[in-house]
Amino acid sequence: MKMLSVRDLSVVFGGVRALSEVSFEVAEGEIIGVIGPNGAGKTTLLNTISGLSRASQGEIHLAGSRITGRRPTEIAALGLGRTFQLSQLFPGMTVLENVMTGLHLRTRASALAAAFRTRGMRAEEEEAAAKAWQALAYVGMERFAHRPGTELSFGQQRIVEIARTLIGEPKLVLLDEPAVGLSLTRVAELDGLLRRIRDERGVTLVMIEHVVRLVMDVCDRVVVLNYGMKIAEGAPEEVTSDAQVIAAYLGSGFDAARRSS
Amino acid sequence: MRLAFGSRQFLALLFLGLALLPWVANPYILYVSNLAMLYIILALGLNMLVGYAGQFALANAAMFGIGAYGTGLLEVRLGLPYLLAAPGGAVLAMLIGTAITFPALRLSGIYLALSTLAFAMFSQWVLLHWYSVTYGGGGFRVPHLDLSPLPIGPDLGIYYLSWAVTIVLVVLAWALVRSRIGRAFVAIRDGEVAAQSLGIDLLRYKALAFALSGFYAGVAGALYTPLLGYISPEGFDLFQMIIQKSMIVVGGMGSILGSVIGATVMVAVLELLRQFKSTQEIVFGSILIAFVLFRPRGIVTLLRRLPGWEEPLSSFDRRRYVVTAPSSPAAATGLARAAAEPTRGEGR
Repeated sequence: MKMLSVRDLSVVFGGVRALSEVSFEVAEGEIIGVIGPNGAGKTTLLNTISGLSRASQGEIHLAGSRITGRRPTEIAALGLGRTFQLSQLFPGMTVLENVMTGLHLRTRASALAAAFRTRGMRAEEEEAAAKAWQALAYVGMERFAHRPGTELSFGQQRIVEIARTLIGEPKLVLLDEPAVGLSLTRVAELDGLLRRIRDERGVTLVMIEHVVRLVMDVCDRVVVLNYGMKIAEGAPEEVTSDAQVIAAYLGSGFDAARRSS
Repeated sequence: MRLAFGSRQFLALLFLGLALLPWVANPYILYVSNLAMLYIILALGLNMLVGYAGQFALANAAMFGIGAYGTGLLEVRLGLPYLLAAPGGAVLAMLIGTAITFPALRLSGIYLALSTLAFAMFSQWVLLHWYSVTYGGGGFRVPHLDLSPLPIGPDLGIYYLSWAVTIVLVVLAWALVRSRIGRAFVAIRDGEVAAQSLGIDLLRYKALAFALSGFYAGVAGALYTPLLGYISPEGFDLFQMIIQKSMIVVGGMGSILGSVIGATVMVAVLELLRQFKSTQEIVFGSILIAFVLFRPRGIVTLLRRLPGWEEPLSSFDRRRYVVTAPSSPAAATGLARAAAEPTRGEGR
């Protein structure tokens, strides 16, 4: 089944063509990397899929439903999760509360039920807390549960964001540079976490990433953007040996560096 | 050994004290305490809207006025008894507050502030000039509170009615902010983009925050009517808005306890300065500026430093969830080790 299909997607901001006629498909259970130099339109692509930016042209389907032009809230309800390049943990909440907020769509209590703390609401709240603990344990961050999110390093915040997204049981998660600011050993751990998320939870992943090693290791396929256009798509090894990609993004030194490592 | 004293005990003692006050206090102290309770209600509603949901709106004084006028006019014009007129006034404030702010819901920051200020000015104008309904600038008298089967006079009647209503509204607000609703409010305040991507409907929760603050202000207005016995437009002007805003700043933005403390402290300040009318606004302004500059999260941050003081970060009971921590094998993964070093700004 196609989890995500992007067809002829163009996004124009004023006179700037951030994306032009980008098409690609993601099958259920795949891990797809989106790479490209700064300003290539990678974040715009994720923003448009999640409904934060408007598509000027083209269509996006998520698990069979057309999501082009829908509001971010609706798209989230259809099973899209998202993490951000700059951590978007809510600073006014603890880590645990942040993760519990990820259950918003999976909980029902109305304002009245919440105000009067009905039995159903309390049961739901207990369950939400238990699930949040599990999600934090899953990513190995439960020792920070009661800390304010802002006390964590940026890398840790992004891991908590992954837990916050996962708890809502999304079908597809878009990750915007999950490895920024992580040391090499941490990148290896992230690698394992992303695989577990796919293998154990069946979540499809699309991630923007600059850390080449992570992309090479974990991604099934890679989509390369440059100046808003898709210039290559394929298995990581194929793409990274593509002359056009090397010129656009990896730099001429990459091939030599890879051989020597 | 920990001293288990926190916001709950503080509030319980405060309201116990207020319940016993009529035995020891003179009518003036009683009136001021009653006023403080109404301001607690106002500050709670405003804090849910501004402190929790992060919507900087300036229409709360107008909602207070609509609640008061709604109640008074239902009594005087339609002859309804107070106990029917008061909920009517409160609901009217909630409905108008929600309806009028709908256009404002798409605005944020300074634009939201200005549009709600314009609405507040407009409602002042209506109160002043729609003479055939509102009696204009001179205001009007409202009947004494009559709880006749109960053996209680009008002054004590409104005092204990306010006391009971305030406790209920404190408890409800407390429950709300520590639920998924409160988390949705804080999420909208702290990051609209992330909130949306978690499926939180911005318009819906902003509207809910406006409705709640409108209802709280309306209830305060409905209680204000019999307390004063007389209503005129000037009680609901811009200075009223500043008083309410300063209460949540002084007490603590995004804190239920802060709303209670801020309202109590600022009513006391206002009354202490009553004899020195000329200094009232100067002192008031100075306090507000001092808090904004030196203690922007209010008096509650001082209380949090007391040994044994317990108040969760976002008014959320943390201890309840500690016991449910599972001992999962996943905790032994590498990321748990990575997580063991809480260094800020790693790699950036």
